[in-house]
Amino acid sequence: MNKLNRRNFMTLAGASGAALAAGVGGSEKALAGSIKLQKSGRDFSPTTLKERKAIPTACWGCVTRDAMIGFVEDGRLKKLDGNPNSIRTMGVICAKAQAGVNQVYFPDRILYPLRRVGKRGEHKWKRVSWDAALDEIAGRLKKLRDAGTPEKFMYHYGRHKASQAATMYDFMAAYGTKTIGNHTSICEGSKWVGQESLWGGMYDNWDYDNTEFVVNFGSNQFETHTNHIPTSQRLIRAMVERGVPLYTFDVRLSATAAKSTEWVPIKPGKDGLVMLSMCNVIMNEGLYRKDHFKYMRVTADHNASVDDKIAAVKANVAKFTPEFASSESGVPAAKIKQIARGFAKAKSACLITYRGAVMHFHGADQERAAMLLSAITNNLDTKGGRVMGVGAGWKAPSSPKAEVHKGLNIRDGFPGEAAFPTHHVSQSILPLIKDGQFGRPEVYWWSCHNPAYVYGDNKEIEAIMKDESIMPFTITSNIVYDESSALADIILPDVTYLERWDWEDMVSPPQVAEFYIRQPLVKPLGEARCQGDVWPDLAKRIGFELVYKDKEDYVRQSCEMTPGVKEAGGFEYMKKHGVWHDKNAKPNFGFFEREVDVSGDGVILDEKTGVYWNWKKAGAASEAEARSKGYLGTKGAKKAYVAQNIEGTPRSAYPPNTKFLKSGLLDFYSDNFAAKGFSAFPTYTPIPEHEKMGKDDLILTTFKIAVHTHSRTSHCKWLSEIKHDNPAWINPRTAGERGIKNGDTIKVASAIGEMTTTAYVTEGILPGVIAISYHLGRRYSGIYGSGKSDPINGGAAADRDAGNIWWKKHGSHPNALIPNWSDPISGGQRWMDTVVQVARA
Amino acid sequence: MTDMKTPKISRREMLGGGGAAVAGAAVLATPLKQADAAPKAPRWGMVMDLRRCIGCRACTVACKAENDVSLGRFRTVIQEKTWGTFPKTKKVFLPIMCNHCEGNKKDKVPPCVKVCPEFPGERKKWTSPSGKKIRYRHGATYKRPDGLILIDKSLCIGCGKCIDACPYGVRSFDPFVKAGKDPMKQAADKCDMCKHRIDNGVEPACVTTCQGRARIFGDLSDPGSEVSKLVKEHSLETPDNVLLPDEGTIPNVFYIDPDKVLKTVYRQREKGKLDHYMDQIP
Repeated sequence: MNKLNRRNFMTLAGASGAALAAGVGGSEKALAGSIKLQKSGRDFSPTTLKERKAIPTACWGCVTRDAMIGFVEDGRLKKLDGNPNSIRTMGVICAKAQAGVNQVYFPDRILYPLRRVGKRGEHKWKRVSWDAALDEIAGRLKKLRDAGTPEKFMYHYGRHKASQAATMYDFMAAYGTKTIGNHTSICEGSKWVGQESLWGGMYDNWDYDNTEFVVNFGSNQFETHTNHIPTSQRLIRAMVERGVPLYTFDVRLSATAAKSTEWVPIKPGKDGLVMLSMCNVIMNEGLYRKDHFKYMRVTADHNASVDDKIAAVKANVAKFTPEFASSESGVPAAKIKQIARGFAKAKSACLITYRGAVMHFHGADQERAAMLLSAITNNLDTKGGRVMGVGAGWKAPSSPKAEVHKGLNIRDGFPGEAAFPTHHVSQSILPLIKDGQFGRPEVYWWSCHNPAYVYGDNKEIEAIMKDESIMPFTITSNIVYDESSALADIILPDVTYLERWDWEDMVSPPQVAEFYIRQPLVKPLGEARCQGDVWPDLAKRIGFELVYKDKEDYVRQSCEMTPGVKEAGGFEYMKKHGVWHDKNAKPNFGFFEREVDVSGDGVILDEKTGVYWNWKKAGAASEAEARSKGYLGTKGAKKAYVAQNIEGTPRSAYPPNTKFLKSGLLDFYSDNFAAKGFSAFPTYTPIPEHEKMGKDDLILTTFKIAVHTHSRTSHCKWLSEIKHDNPAWINPRTAGERGIKNGDTIKVASAIGEMTTTAYVTEGILPGVIAISYHLGRRYSGIYGSGKSDPINGGAAADRDAGNIWWKKHGSHPNALIPNWSDPISGGQRWMDTVVQVARA
Repeated sequence: MTDMKTPKISRREMLGGGGAAVAGAAVLATPLKQADAAPKAPRWGMVMDLRRCIGCRACTVACKAENDVSLGRFRTVIQEKTWGTFPKTKKVFLPIMCNHCEGNKKDKVPPCVKVCPEFPGERKKWTSPSGKKIRYRHGATYKRPDGLILIDKSLCIGCGKCIDACPYGVRSFDPFVKAGKDPMKQAADKCDMCKHRIDNGVEPACVTTCQGRARIFGDLSDPGSEVSKLVKEHSLETPDNVLLPDEGTIPNVFYIDPDKVLKTVYRQREKGKLDHYMDQIP
């Protein structure tokens, strides 16, 4: 190991950092006392009082990816703040984003390419050059490609979005592998599958700015969400300034539940049932609104009248009485009725759901219930309701594709595991590699991902990654030596998100797309390199070319070819301002009502479904054949969808933009579901394991708190200082039955493993449940995350704060107790279903 | 969350772009008084709207970054408390920081300043935003004419008396900075309301990052400022809307607390300890 003086390096590395883009802010100095104080955009050194250089960029702490301003002093990043010109974030950021400074300068950061020298997992490394590392990787990849087996190179990512994903996919397509894994099924994949099956798209934005009433099932909206800052601040504003009520159904008194008008405790897995019982109340009491029924399909007949549909919905939800839902969920029937009535009677209402509701057995169906409740009250894609989100549609350059382009069938679970794995089954990838029935990658490269930590049964995942007979060659690009990096053969030092270029596109609550970019705030530390810079280099070494020379070039080209951004001034404009949106754009509400011209050549009406489609575009042999096979019977017809016949008018309705073949109606009666043996209409399916629980069994649920992501923040000192231990939440009654007192050491055991942790006895959780947050219990996460410096550098001394670390606990990880098991509908990981036994240790 | 008042003017309108208009309106509302009082000095204060605080800790971390606060201590924290019996359990968040106290009625010197052996020191002049020079007594801990209670670390002897004297326990030793007058010791440190920002016309770091807009900062001596309006609208100048009113410190940090939870949530310092001022999520 080459020993540099890390302290000097970490402190001064930025000093030579190139002066980057021009600052934001830039307004005249407002005088103190004039009350004309500026909200962010500028910052000053508290010691020298000098103004810090302001550079627009974007966060990557979580998938929300807020537009930010970075403040740099003498080449060193000192501070981050929201970009005041962002219509999404309105100039604020969260605690994790504020701690972005720690991401760059945490003392255990990986700064050089490393090659394993001992056995895998033995923590023995030697420093190598980038040339040596890339030549070795290129050699292996070229061999696979030349042999016509590019699919034996697998890339597995955790967080890749926008241009970070686009550049990676571009490289992989040019190389020829489709064996690309993601992580969505361990996040909230079930939710998207439920939505796609009827909406034809996914990602619900919640229009708090216009709503009058909010009901929340299992979202910790105020602490963490995939679009946290843009939505959360709008919700608290709606509550305080307009008196909008918020009802939160959750097993636990999260910050969201605590700030709600009312916390309604609910048993795990019963959210969909309660939603269906709310539908029952609304239908029986005549509180539904007819408006959206014409866009809904609720029976086998696509052409049913609105009255028939109303009758059918009523019949379908008849068995889900509030009394039945109450007996199953523990929510009082009167409460269900009260909230259902409030929801239906409000001028507009927003139904929100997240992991608590959907990461269950049949979780995708719970999401369908949420959509149903929204639709029958006309709160779908209307102001103040649940609306399909709008993100930026960037144009980007594309490299020539490889002639051979194929993938291993290891992304979608074991045969029969999931009916509609449209977001894949990432928790089964490594078990499938071990199984081997669909082949194994010879090179496995992961990035922004920590498989040995984030999946269920993580000890088994770790064992698979460690086994060289199963995983012959492993590569990671990472900034931190973590549980998975320890199992790599080559570690490439990645840049942090504050040292790289990207364009970004996350959903914008005003329903107007915001285009924004990320630009480096400082020069990458050490020898860290952005993957978007590595791809063109690696391609050359293998023997092909990409159409961009580095990530900056890719972002520049994208800015110059994206309509709107280009006219605004392209790359130079974006560097200066960071964000752009079309000021004349209309918010995307009511898009489904748009009238469509169906006079085009080849457009015919399919009488059965009411779909106008273009038989020529679908590739049918003749119009006659197209008509006889029909829209649903013609392969490729989905792509040729034009409009839906809505009471005689062709309207855009809900195009089948995903893998689900459907009409333009909201498919609440789903042939797709029925064909796979599931209920065509949203229903309630008890969780089998919960039905068989013994009297002393508890249900384990997991959760996220405000200051940590799943696995990429524990090395941040300012976050781990606030939250470094994750005791298990348990109700005093449940604890008392087991003789457990607050602070006691307890043992939690499931069918597959056990853990020791501390009891946090609190009235803030439902009896019968134990809840453990899942960001802590890190074995390797640098000195601040795991209490020990990484085995490579031992670089903790580089931070003058390392001696001030005062906490000794680093938490316990619950994933070893949770099997990798999937919702049979969606392939979503069943995080919230595990049955456990709890006792004093 | 029961009592949700609707402010007449949204915060956004007041702060975003409307700043100049609001200032103008204030002058119109009380033209004579304003002219008389001729903005001698602002009186900086903060209103914490407990309805809006969601306990996210962005303020805590923003402060750490802005001021490079070492581990083991904080300049601002969120306290949280859970109480009640399931299912009627409650949890509330309480942001706390230095109250930049006016000082008791008699001499207008807050306890931390009073105990500082280096106060009163040199007579100094401070230039107000309107250009007026105002004299004040400097010290290692001192009160600036705009009401900020500040520390001059170059004068600090590291005795820790101010740390003990603060009834709120918001001061601590800064392991990164030596006491100027006794390099064997560390200097005292605490929230300075981001004076380096407000002197340059930018709000404190905890305020700009607050997604709930629970922290509202401004000039309490300007009746047109948002803080003044909130103090008036919610009648905040009562013992129920500040911390430890019995200490007679006259805080410049006020709490909007319609659910009357301040007394339930606030965890006071224990003598000689600062555990209450460590931001911890249970």
